[in-house]
Amino acid sequence: MVDQPLWEQIGSSFVQHYYQLFDSDRSQLGTIYIDESCLPWEGQQFQGKKGNRWETHLHSITVQDHQPTPDCNILSMVVGQLKVDDDPVMGFHQSFLLKNINSAWVCTNDMFRLAIHNFG
Amino acid sequence: MAAEKEIWQKIGEGFVQEYYNQFDNTNRTTLGDLYSADACLTWEGSSFPGKAAIAGKLASLPFKSIKHIITEQDFQPTVDSCIFIMVFGQLKVFMLKHHACSWVCTNDVFRLGIHNIPA
Repeated sequence: MVDQPLWEQIGSSFVQHYYQLFDSDRSQLGTIYIDESCLPWEGQQFQGKKGNRWETHLHSITVQDHQPTPDCNILSMVVGQLKVDDDPVMGFHQSFLLKNINSAWVCTNDMFRLAIHNFG
Repeated sequence: MAAEKEIWQKIGEGFVQEYYNQFDNTNRTTLGDLYSADACLTWEGSSFPGKAAIAGKLASLPFKSIKHIITEQDFQPTVDSCIFIMVFGQLKVFMLKHHACSWVCTNDVFRLGIHNIPA
């Protein structure tokens, strides 16, 4: 069996860590971003570690893709399902750009969209 | 009052428009020129590394005609001066890098929206 490429290992670990934190202890999520991180949430811009809006979520990952970038970053894309409080399950898409800064992988870009936008 | 668009949004929108124009209205043989030499494409979970592999995959897609309808698109600058793009209609993610006076695509991820439908 072929070993997973390094970017897939790092990307998968990050995604697993991210959603575990998100669904259990959102107060720790700021540690994975830097002050310059960009996070549009459903089209609205938030910047920096303090700009996040949080609600109660439970994420289920359907598929995830990871790629290396020319600047030695990692691009990760997640497609999955999301349950918020008592609302019906919704699909979501989220993309991350990960960068190694001072020997730690942090998220510099994060884009999130609900799957409601997929239908013409 | 509407704010002027940021430069990364203008470049990103221009790229997305050109990409889907070539994709939908040509035989897709020149789509490869939008990618850098060592770009990556992930198409429904399969990897296509390098411009030649990407061009081959896109030109060989098994349909006679296609039309993309974009419902939403998001653009962000990155700390390495690249542009990060996410397109919705059919989900597509691009990364653009400035190279030799033009913007080329270095990363591309495609997934059909069928993965989103809850059971």
